[in-house]
Amino acid sequence: MDIRKFKELVFAAGRSAGLEEMEIYAARTKELEVRVYKSEVDNYNLSDEGGVGLRARYAGKIGYAYTEALDDQSVEYLVNAVKANAQVIDSEDEIEFFAGSLSYPEVETYYPELDQVPAEEYINAALEFERTAQSADSRVDSVNWALTGYFSSDVFIANTEGLEQSFRQNLAYGFVSAVIRENGQVKTGSKSKSIYDWAQFDPAAMAREAVEEGLSLLNAETVPSGNYRIILRRDAARSILATFSGVFSAEAVQKGLSLLGDKLGAQIAAETVSLVDNPFVPHAGGSRPFDGEGVAVQKTDVIAKGQLNSFLHNLKTAKKQGVQSTGNASRPSFKSTVGIAPTNFYIEPGEDSYNALLTQLGDGLVIIDVQGLHSGANPVSGDFSLGAYGYRVENGKVVGAVDQITISGNFFTLLRDVEKVGSDLEFGLPGGAGNVGSPSLLIRGLSVAGRRGK
Amino acid sequence: MLSEKLIAEVLHAALSTGGDFAEIFAEDTYNTSINMINGIVEDGIQGRDHGVGIRIFQGVRSVYAYTNDLTPANLIRVAKEAAAALPGASSVQTLVLNRCAVDNMHLIKIRPSDVPQARKVEVMREAHTGAQGYDQQISQVTVRYLDTEQNILIANSEGLLTGDRRVRTRLAVQAIATKGNEKQSGFYGPGRHMGFEMFDLINPREAGARAAKIAVTMINADYAPSGRYPVVIHNEFGGVIFHEACGHGLEATSVAKGTSVFAGRIGEKVASDVVTAVDDGSIPNAWGSQNIDDEGTPTRRNVLIENGILKGYMVDKLNGRRMGMEPTGNSRRQSYKFAPTSRMTNTFIEAGESTVEEIIKNTEKGLFAKSMGGGSVNPATGEFNFAVMEGYLIENGEIVKPVRGATLIGKGHEILMKIDMVANNLARGQGMCGSISGSIPADVGQPTIRVSEITVGGREGGN
Repeated sequence: MDIRKFKELVFAAGRSAGLEEMEIYAARTKELEVRVYKSEVDNYNLSDEGGVGLRARYAGKIGYAYTEALDDQSVEYLVNAVKANAQVIDSEDEIEFFAGSLSYPEVETYYPELDQVPAEEYINAALEFERTAQSADSRVDSVNWALTGYFSSDVFIANTEGLEQSFRQNLAYGFVSAVIRENGQVKTGSKSKSIYDWAQFDPAAMAREAVEEGLSLLNAETVPSGNYRIILRRDAARSILATFSGVFSAEAVQKGLSLLGDKLGAQIAAETVSLVDNPFVPHAGGSRPFDGEGVAVQKTDVIAKGQLNSFLHNLKTAKKQGVQSTGNASRPSFKSTVGIAPTNFYIEPGEDSYNALLTQLGDGLVIIDVQGLHSGANPVSGDFSLGAYGYRVENGKVVGAVDQITISGNFFTLLRDVEKVGSDLEFGLPGGAGNVGSPSLLIRGLSVAGRRGK
Repeated sequence: MLSEKLIAEVLHAALSTGGDFAEIFAEDTYNTSINMINGIVEDGIQGRDHGVGIRIFQGVRSVYAYTNDLTPANLIRVAKEAAAALPGASSVQTLVLNRCAVDNMHLIKIRPSDVPQARKVEVMREAHTGAQGYDQQISQVTVRYLDTEQNILIANSEGLLTGDRRVRTRLAVQAIATKGNEKQSGFYGPGRHMGFEMFDLINPREAGARAAKIAVTMINADYAPSGRYPVVIHNEFGGVIFHEACGHGLEATSVAKGTSVFAGRIGEKVASDVVTAVDDGSIPNAWGSQNIDDEGTPTRRNVLIENGILKGYMVDKLNGRRMGMEPTGNSRRQSYKFAPTSRMTNTFIEAGESTVEEIIKNTEKGLFAKSMGGGSVNPATGEFNFAVMEGYLIENGEIVKPVRGATLIGKGHEILMKIDMVANNLARGQGMCGSISGSIPADVGQPTIRVSEITVGGREGGN
């Protein structure tokens, strides 16, 4: 059934059941994903799906429910489930059903030409990933990921206070990973990218980069345990930032789950560090005109030259703190309750290229990837202890590969220990923590566990 | 959910090109989740997942499509669109579906949909009290309640027509202890393939206290020393190390492609003699159990490693074609939105003969990893990284003090060879396992084991 008609039915049924205010959040997505293995299409996934979430106030409390089936049975299910849930809620938080912003920005989120790319092009690009990676070097054992995909979604929000907005977004992506084998050693190198302009997509170049990275990791050794000057390459820096991005959420602050609670206005990072949430970045997966509550988005300077300027807010946390929402209400899907998430969240790039950072590092390590983020990082305390690998650097030159080490430290200390910020900002594939990006960061010192004794 | 006539039509449409096998997976699932923070019910959500996945094979090629528009015209359209990706002419004969009833091994006494929300909240309050009341240093308690009833139908072009109902319940407690500016968290999350009767087995108050104990112990702990030394990994959730570092390498997903270090090594010695490891999806009411897997194959006990010798893999239909092996009842998926593949169910190292006391007493200096956090592994290289949620230092055969911040890193297949003692106290813990066919409930498990040497990452460098 059509979403606008379904909305009318739910609002009518809800009103007769005594629901006071109601909001419908609906999303419909179309996806294609192609994976190639040994010159064959190994996986070919197509989908067309969606659903509706209902949020409503009953007897002063908020209940949630969702359904993927837009039928009459679901109208009744949603209304009953929302009522049952609202009745057990204790939270006295004031939830506002937002009537709408005065105006909404024009944000580029949909690339019509991308919709015209036929499925065969995705297959060809994935084949190209594999072919190029496999033939790039005799030490390439296999190409364990050669994947391309497409995603588009239509988001619709409407409530009984008059809000009704929608937008469409799409993106394509590619991921290639090669397994390198030499003298009993096994290494992987990979490369992933979001694609907004198919003509700019160069699968062969990505495949060569992945192989080069894998090869560069051969003959890796551990290093003596100790404190090292370190470059977190942009992808490793981005992973760490994404893991701890929750500490900037006002919700975490108000629930006492962020150590930044009393730090507004304080210098919490080195002066070189500015952290922004910017929904207007062209060709970035987190861009959008309004957030999960229908509030028009804005750019937020979270850290300005080291100083903590703002948290990320939705309507509920903003009201509690007596500020305006920053337009960061998140609904990762119609099944989710309203939370807070960044849009495009990144450290502002500096002046120095990656190579210039190497020179300034002098002697130390470059970390290109970290492992165990969902286990070895404590998002509350900021402590992390992560498996890592990368390169050893002497006199500003990479002299060898490093693996079997752990880097340990604390996110909040790390922010203060940033000596230089590179110019090589890159975003990852958009995910649950928003679309996070970082340039490479030169860090004064981090504890590294490798082999015993220096 | 779907009529036999429609199922046959969709399977025919799926095989209208070059496909040689087609499968329909239909699902109607009801979920409940409630969150309580510091004793306050913050939000609750109920939802209905509803859709159909269609899978087609051509040799070892596969195509997957899903939709939640279940009108006959749309299902046939989706099947044809998916089939279009497989070149060739149809070779399908007439299709006869044989309805196959499932023997239910997992009795459900109280369906969650029959339990009022208020009763579920009561259980959560008890868990909250158990955690909050454990110690004054506990500053935050988050309790999450989850239940799900998944009704599925599976049909395929081999004539299979079957179905299953999976009911699961879970209580998850996270407690945070605060001391000065520092915070440490502890987690415990028991779950079963059961209805609300799970709480006859699991005392929510004790579950809360268990999470709190970890947080309080850790806030008062020093940092673990880094280096390479013996590690005693406790039972229950300690099995996550085997799950992540070895189990994934025994899934046909990585074996068929030769990316696993265990590929082509059946009959070879891959672990020390004291190690026997099993995956068993048929354990009554266990978290990772189900009557049939998500391709309709009955679940069963599969011995993976016996006395150190590699005996078998976990195999799904598609990878079975690649490997020339029969499916083992391990093909799983999060929902109709995922093509199924070989996954673990309840995976554990079998009990040995030592006692925990003997193991500790025989360890001169080492780490006792009592509760493990999660972990991750690179399946191609076997390199893993696990957090120790609750750790203790062992000196001269005795547990001397709690230590925090330790991570265990190494390579799974190397660690298997270094397990030198296995205790007699097998127990399983619950987790959600994420991989290419989504996030699925899985039990990990083991008795207390000792690994003669692991790299421990900690704060105190060097000694």
